[in-house]
Amino acid sequence: MEELNSLESGAEKAAQIILDAGGELVGKTRLQKVAYILEITGLGFGFSFEYRHYGPFSEDLANGLVDAEVRRLISHEERPATWGGTYSIFRATGSSSKSAVLPSRDRVLQATVKANPVALELAATAAFLAIEGNPSPWAETQRRKPEKADKFLDSAKDLYRQLRLVDTPKALPEIFR
Amino acid sequence: MSFKFQRIRDPLHNLIEFPGDEFHHAMWKVIQTYEFQRLRRVKQLGFSELVYPGATHTRFAHSVGVFHTARKLMGVVKKRLGEEAYQNTKAQRALAAALVHDLGHGPYSHAFEDVGKRLKLTMADHEKVTDQLVREGEVSTALNGLGSGFAADVADVIKKAGPASIYGAVVSSQFDADRLDYVQRDRLMTGTHHGAIDFNWLLSNLEVAEVSYGVDGEAVGKIDTFVLGPKALHAAEAYLLGLFQLYATVYLHKATRGAEKLFTELLVRLVELARDGSVPRTGLPQKHPLVQFAKHPEKLENALALDDYVVGGALSMMADAKDHSIATLSKHLRDRRLFKCVDIREHLSQKFGGEQGKGKDFEAICNALEHKVVEWCKNNPNEIPYILIDKPERPIYKTMSEESKGPLDQIMMKPGNGDEEPFDVASVSQVVKAIKPFKAFRVYYERSDEKAKLAIGHAIDAEVEKWKN
Repeated sequence: MEELNSLESGAEKAAQIILDAGGELVGKTRLQKVAYILEITGLGFGFSFEYRHYGPFSEDLANGLVDAEVRRLISHEERPATWGGTYSIFRATGSSSKSAVLPSRDRVLQATVKANPVALELAATAAFLAIEGNPSPWAETQRRKPEKADKFLDSAKDLYRQLRLVDTPKALPEIFR
Repeated sequence: MSFKFQRIRDPLHNLIEFPGDEFHHAMWKVIQTYEFQRLRRVKQLGFSELVYPGATHTRFAHSVGVFHTARKLMGVVKKRLGEEAYQNTKAQRALAAALVHDLGHGPYSHAFEDVGKRLKLTMADHEKVTDQLVREGEVSTALNGLGSGFAADVADVIKKAGPASIYGAVVSSQFDADRLDYVQRDRLMTGTHHGAIDFNWLLSNLEVAEVSYGVDGEAVGKIDTFVLGPKALHAAEAYLLGLFQLYATVYLHKATRGAEKLFTELLVRLVELARDGSVPRTGLPQKHPLVQFAKHPEKLENALALDDYVVGGALSMMADAKDHSIATLSKHLRDRRLFKCVDIREHLSQKFGGEQGKGKDFEAICNALEHKVVEWCKNNPNEIPYILIDKPERPIYKTMSEESKGPLDQIMMKPGNGDEEPFDVASVSQVVKAIKPFKAFRVYYERSDEKAKLAIGHAIDAEVEKWKN
């Protein structure tokens, strides 16, 4: 963990997530949820998260991304999505250097960077609710996000099971309901 | 059962009526609660009255205004959805949420939140306080008069913990009641002539339409949201431009922000002293609400005991404090002797021929200079920092664009022919396209402090020289 905590600024930490994810990460929502999963498994950078419309969100991370772009540690491209909005692509630049990634960190990243972003949002939301002490996190996630859950709750549960198999410094909470 | 008809005179909306029905009776009871009445003692714009003497309006007046505006928006929803599709219970939850959405604000609102962020004080976060009050406070009892669980449903609407819907859009969207009230009220009360919006025209052209939404690149489905008719293009432009101007001239005014910075330093110092058992040095008695909050910031009742009156009244006591920082900062605030401001961003903009002159380099220059000033402060520590730094940035398209950006986070226009999907106003308006987030970078120093003044000047000169070529 020492190499992660030695990073000084939010910008460097945000850039490091992208670098460790293979140099490219697609989607702001995905980036937030990836960072959250890393954080609660003890593999994160010390970002603090609160509940927002898309589930756990870190303002410090969002600010770090902006600073990282200004400092050219990352590049940020916006593309039109098929549904009418836009989505972001973040790429690490040559200005940031990749350090050795912990195997458990690498496995969490592998599972999340390619996951469906809606499933990831739902899984991260359920984890957030479980940590907050909600007795039925999946049911509550379904209540809060019914349209998303209708289509993606099963994939979210699969993804969560997969993530729980990774041996991490802190275990993801077990969620039954 | 009959209920009493009530009304309130409002400087912005004139008559705000509470008809004699069960729902409005419950809302009237909410207004009578201790927590809601406290909002009479919390100014809407905090220290803005140091710049605009008229801006002494309160969160109380704003909250009632938001409720009134929300009812107007809900009228649009009802008209557009039709009686059959309109869901009264959901509408009432959203209207109640509009009324109580600001309950948790502390004294000098956003400056108080900054103290909370610096010291990790949970009950300085107005969203958390609001949530707890709506679920458990006196307000909760008043709300649950409409049915058990109603208060929790209202809290969910405010927290956006429920499914997104057109009813929720009344409380949180580009056209939510909160913004539509404050953009008009703050303009009226400050007396500024910037930022006028054509509210009635916007409302008259507001419709409800189905738009697609998704997460990142993944489509999820369709959802109802507010859209503007084609004749409201210029009113939409004025609305966004108005917001931008209010940020520049009111909300982030350099003197207001300067006062907020002093307030933050004052409260941080007070909490430090209270925590290490040095209350006698603060000039305040042990039982003073500020001391109680400093000692136990996790207690809701301590947060609720604070308001602008409590803090304003404490300034004269703290001005006589034994602690030098407390006394100095209190006098500065009480007597409006604000630190001198150097607007670095403006200064650099002039030097480099505008912010766009060098593209993103401009941000890099600001960041490099900020880094330099921070380093200087680290090397020159002082009880009250010699230099206070302020670098705010406010997107005009609200913070919802912080994650997936889509139709729910933008102002959508309905095409003239009615067949096509609604489109983002920015795609047809050069004015909207040109509105960037408002950014500032300022530093403040005590007016007689030549050392800090020189350090700032040297830092700017060195950075300008470095980037000149």
